[in-house]
Amino acid sequence: MDEPELIRAAQRGDQRAFEQLVRLYDQNVLRLALNLLRSPEDANDIYQEAFLRVYKNLHSFRFDCSFHTWLYRIVTNLCLDALRKRRVRREENTVVETSEGFLDRMDTVEEGRADGNPQRQLISRQLGKKIQEVLGGLTPRERAVFEMRHYQGLRLRTIGDMLGTSEEAAKNCLFRATQKMRAALGDFV
Amino acid sequence: MKCEEVKKTLPLFLYGEFSFDEEERLEMHIDECVSCRGVLERERAMFKALDGAEAAPTQELLDQCRAELRGRLSNAAPERKHFWDKILQGFSIQFHFAPGIMQPLGAVAMLAIGFFVARVAPSSLGGPWRSAGVLGEPASSRVRYVEPTGSGRVQIVVDETRQRVLSGNLEDQSIQRLLLTAAKDPSDAGLRVESVELLKSKPQSAEVRSALLYAVQHDSNAGVRLKALDGLKDFANDPQTRQVLAQVLLRDDNPGVRTQVIDLLIQHHSDSMVGVLQELMVKEDNGYIRMRCQRALHDMNASVETY
Repeated sequence: MDEPELIRAAQRGDQRAFEQLVRLYDQNVLRLALNLLRSPEDANDIYQEAFLRVYKNLHSFRFDCSFHTWLYRIVTNLCLDALRKRRVRREENTVVETSEGFLDRMDTVEEGRADGNPQRQLISRQLGKKIQEVLGGLTPRERAVFEMRHYQGLRLRTIGDMLGTSEEAAKNCLFRATQKMRAALGDFV
Repeated sequence: MKCEEVKKTLPLFLYGEFSFDEEERLEMHIDECVSCRGVLERERAMFKALDGAEAAPTQELLDQCRAELRGRLSNAAPERKHFWDKILQGFSIQFHFAPGIMQPLGAVAMLAIGFFVARVAPSSLGGPWRSAGVLGEPASSRVRYVEPTGSGRVQIVVDETRQRVLSGNLEDQSIQRLLLTAAKDPSDAGLRVESVELLKSKPQSAEVRSALLYAVQHDSNAGVRLKALDGLKDFANDPQTRQVLAQVLLRDDNPGVRTQVIDLLIQHHSDSMVGVLQELMVKEDNGYIRMRCQRALHDMNASVETY
């Protein structure tokens, strides 16, 4: 079954079709949530809430935009909401204290690169930390646009649709995000 | 192209968001400008560093998410089936399994229901309503049984549905019960409109209110839904009513209905409405509703952009 057929079958209540639909997108959804929220638990929460909303409201999906856009609209709104809440109660630290000492919850996720050289590893770790700091300093909107463009490879027009804004507004967000990163990472790269 | 412009727009160039002509102009400038070439190289290095900072979910996390979702889905049914859809679906499933047997049985069952509503129910209901008697010819009839009795004569058993006129006031339980039944008659939207129009003057009755809420949520006719909403005006602060109205606001495809619902909902501000209104802002395309929604969120000191 292709995607529209899966959607129609799921709209008729076909549970298996819905699961297949989830499988088409869930890795990217989880990746986006994880990159935006930098917490596996929060990313799981977003994953659950997003797909439950899709499940409950799929009957109202009328193919007037792509399913991908519709789904990401839900996911990004949930993420933005979570980021805003987090900003209110201060940026959450990924390091937590456990019975076995301090543990960085992001250690449970796979980083994009590995290198055998210890010195390069150190620089890479410092750079990684700096990048996380800069990302944490971006506004939720800037961060969402940056993540969607840089890591998910979405076009700015699509990002605008997903965030309920214009391509121009998404572009401006991206400019601000990259400017801030350039200013902060200038000495490292 | 000037250096300042090049430096500003480099991210768009690297992300491939430039048009063919824009790309051409930028590349021409870069070829001739050493300073901008250096900036481009630094920008590329930054992009590469950022690439490496991407967090990828582990397979374990993905499996955990999928398992949890499967469990949650089994407890969360999509709320889309109307009462009559379910009944019809029930019939269709039976036809699917045994079309030859179930179809005539279904027809007989429908006939029996018709008889019950038209004849048995009114006569079995007590109360001070008055029957004006049977009017003229039967509204419908069906030959049930045919038997020759000899000497050229035939005995025929006929099932007949006759009309009966009942009158009484709205306080009468029997009248109210018939109106409640008529308000859900799936075959006649006009009858439902009239019934709801009468019932809406008695929203104090829990049974009537429940019928109005049902109509607002499930009636396929927008006219019926609007009448039912009218009857719920005085209950805009009742938690159960608000919960139903919130669902209708997000799901009803008729802007007239949504307009009336938002007007009712925002009469009383409550924090529980913030999420609903924020969700509405994401999907609503009607200018008036968006404006009302935005103002309500503003009055509640809530953001309009999340839900």
